[in-house]
Amino acid sequence: MPTVPETDVVGEWICAPGADEIVTGSARYCPDIKLPGMLTGKLLYSPYARARVKKLDVTKARNLPGVHAVITHTDIPGENSYLYGHPDQPLLVVDEVRFQGDAVAAVAAIDAETADAALQMIEVEYEEFAGQFDPHLVMQPGAEQVLPVEENDLLFQTYKNGDVDAAIASADVVVKNTYRTQWAEHAFLETEGGVALVDQAGLLTVYSSCQAPHRDRMQIARALALPESSVRVITPYIGGAFGGKDEAHVQMHVALLAQATGLPVSLIRDRRESILTHVKRHPVLVECVTGATKDGQLVAVKARVIGDAGPYSNATHEVLNKLGEFIGGPYTVQNVEVQKIGVRTNNPITGAFRGFGAPQAAFVYECQMDDIARKLGMDPLDIRLKNGVDTGTRMYTGVVVREGTGMKASLKKAAEMIDWQQRGRCDRQPDKHLRRGFGMATILKGCGLGRGLGDHASVILEMHRDGSVVLRSAAADMGQGIVTVLAQLAADGLGVELSSVRVIRADTAQSPDAGASCGSRQTMVSGNAVIEAANSIRDTLLTLAAMKTKVSKDELELKGGKLFVNGECHTMTVRDLAERASNWGYPLHAESLVHFDYPTNVPDVTYKYSQEVFQFCTQIAQVLVDIETGQVVVERLVAVHDVGKMINPGGVYGQIEGGVAQGIGYALSEELIVEDGITQNPSLENYIIPMALDLPPIEMAVLENPEPRGAPLGAKGVAEAPIIPTASAIRNAILDATGTPLYQLPMNPERVLKTIS
Amino acid sequence: MTDKAVQFSVNGDPRSIEADTTKTLLQVLRDDLELTGTKDGCSSGDCGACVVLVDGRAENSCMILAPQADGSEISTVEGLAGDGELHPLQKAFAETWAFQCGFCTPGMLMSCFALLETNADPSREDILTAIAGNFCRCTGYQAVVKAVQQAAAEIRGADRA
Repeated sequence: MPTVPETDVVGEWICAPGADEIVTGSARYCPDIKLPGMLTGKLLYSPYARARVKKLDVTKARNLPGVHAVITHTDIPGENSYLYGHPDQPLLVVDEVRFQGDAVAAVAAIDAETADAALQMIEVEYEEFAGQFDPHLVMQPGAEQVLPVEENDLLFQTYKNGDVDAAIASADVVVKNTYRTQWAEHAFLETEGGVALVDQAGLLTVYSSCQAPHRDRMQIARALALPESSVRVITPYIGGAFGGKDEAHVQMHVALLAQATGLPVSLIRDRRESILTHVKRHPVLVECVTGATKDGQLVAVKARVIGDAGPYSNATHEVLNKLGEFIGGPYTVQNVEVQKIGVRTNNPITGAFRGFGAPQAAFVYECQMDDIARKLGMDPLDIRLKNGVDTGTRMYTGVVVREGTGMKASLKKAAEMIDWQQRGRCDRQPDKHLRRGFGMATILKGCGLGRGLGDHASVILEMHRDGSVVLRSAAADMGQGIVTVLAQLAADGLGVELSSVRVIRADTAQSPDAGASCGSRQTMVSGNAVIEAANSIRDTLLTLAAMKTKVSKDELELKGGKLFVNGECHTMTVRDLAERASNWGYPLHAESLVHFDYPTNVPDVTYKYSQEVFQFCTQIAQVLVDIETGQVVVERLVAVHDVGKMINPGGVYGQIEGGVAQGIGYALSEELIVEDGITQNPSLENYIIPMALDLPPIEMAVLENPEPRGAPLGAKGVAEAPIIPTASAIRNAILDATGTPLYQLPMNPERVLKTIS
Repeated sequence: MTDKAVQFSVNGDPRSIEADTTKTLLQVLRDDLELTGTKDGCSSGDCGACVVLVDGRAENSCMILAPQADGSEISTVEGLAGDGELHPLQKAFAETWAFQCGFCTPGMLMSCFALLETNADPSREDILTAIAGNFCRCTGYQAVVKAVQQAAAEIRGADRA
């Protein structure tokens, strides 16, 4: 008799459900949805960073043959605002445009050419007036307000633990630097879009390229003054997001147009519109003072962060909150003070982007670490190992690290992979104008939304009488692979083959709320919900098996669709058991709602909305700097990540490789150039992202130190960590190569040349 | 805007359409022929999501006006799998996670297919050069290299057999 197979579906390299559709071109993304009678929707966006709308007349556009609707703010039946946290961004402006990209009117017409012609015929008279573009100036007392009823500093908070000033005064060595980061663009390959239609029963369906289908539903219902029961949001395949589709974009506009016309409407932004209109990674200015003892023990970190929010709140609170939370790095330092200031300007809007402020924080704390190490003559590896957190460390935020092995383990593993101790022996000056160097950075980043933020997810799992399984989850899969992870956990939990599990992609009419796919949270939250639901169904199957075999449940096991009794394969299968359950009326249907596990039996957690399960990773870069041109080439990049437990290797390695590639772009070339609120490079030609020939070999290793509680099989999220340390690793390598520290991103040739010469 | 009769073959099938002379090959494929596998990522020739084969060459279809394709043989991602059997490249892309969101995949596959037509055993450098114009924001292209080499090995093995 065959015994229980050793390997199972968790941790195996498997194809993603839906991979066949992707490779054959049959996977439907929003722009691929074609419905009978479907109209093309387009939005008219502001060309100015700030202007009064003196006149807005859509009469001529409405009268153009082929135009079915032209709507402005007066045609919105419900609330005229987005709602991420604070409803201060209008869907369609009322009397003033406040950034280049504010939407003014929406059109639906029989085809794209007619819609474009209608946009041309909308008569808008703008009166341009002085915008606010300097975060420092808008903070001055008496500065003119960007929004009439809201303060310019939308966030002004200080967090403090310990006596920071006294610790700095007593420190043997102090480094004080000012860091600047840039606006960065997600550049998901599928631009934002949606398709909406209203059926005869009045149900409004919106296909949405998004990260948060239930939040979309809420916002659509709110804008259209409909009950949420009349709105259905479906995610088709989604062509990338990286945080940029966490906030809604055109979903409400396309729904308004479908409601106004009674016809299906498709509204897809083109690339230029996409770059100009969605949130960017916050540019920040950070002044940071770090103190240490002469043997390299960190004693204090004091930072002041000013983030440029653009005119509206978007995710500024969330991003700057995370930036402040991680400003001390993965270190044991206790005296930390961070002032977080978010200000309104007429620059581009800003919000979520992979890491929620943690990449900006890491650029600060990991550069500070190397500057201190240089002052003390210490090895960058040693100073990090000396200060690193461990399991049980109580951090400055009050959070106790539940499992922290990965911090030092990732440092040691990465150092071993690049042969850190021997780095001095390589050719450090291969040519008279070339300098080679090595730099490291190590980080931690929490998974989940944070304590007190309603961090929960539901799923519905059902087994049919033939043993086939349907999993309904509203966790949006934008490519990161959550559908695969949930299918694996369902198959594993139920003891069936992966091919028996069909996952319904996020659809609010079929699946309960799973929250947004953000903050590296879905593997943990939705993953736990799947395990809980599977356990319930599995228990039913085992109860029936025990009745039939007269063997107690704990001696039975289900795996790969088979029943094992004391390790031996039985003739009865999962399918037989499912049929019995169906015939006799036993439940094979489970809904599970799981909350992210924030422990209550810990010392006071003083940092608000703290994350408490940590991704750890270390990256080391080897670079070659051309001191004549300022060109930096990354020759090797080692990335070591602790993921707790690897459920889906294809997704884990994919996320690491892709995150590092994005990190290299953030470090060296990516920058939205904005002059007086006007973006100068809104195209993939001029916003420079590394392509295939620009990237080094990325050498990856995955560590598995299982998270002890609240994690499915010990698995943590992995999505955000890979982009976080890359820029500082490269910066520290440039420092090692040239002896010159940089404090501003991106480190493009002009900036590098200017700094080193 | 004027219409012009354009004839070409798509994945081996002769097609004849009246195309507006300002329309691109990409628009004709997606809108008129409903072959939506080929994607539009930028409409400006910068991203490679729309790569198809024109007489065997990998080209950005957003940069070709439909009348320019008159008389050509066009191949798109929809034509890669034959008789319900995936092409080795398609299988390898799925097995190695050479994509995540998948939006770049149709164009990437066509660039790689064109490469394998002329190079049965491509090096890492050969592959990166072949996909130099195919933008992928999800991966770091390493998984694509792995997939192409796996597929190339499978094709060589099948040819020997």
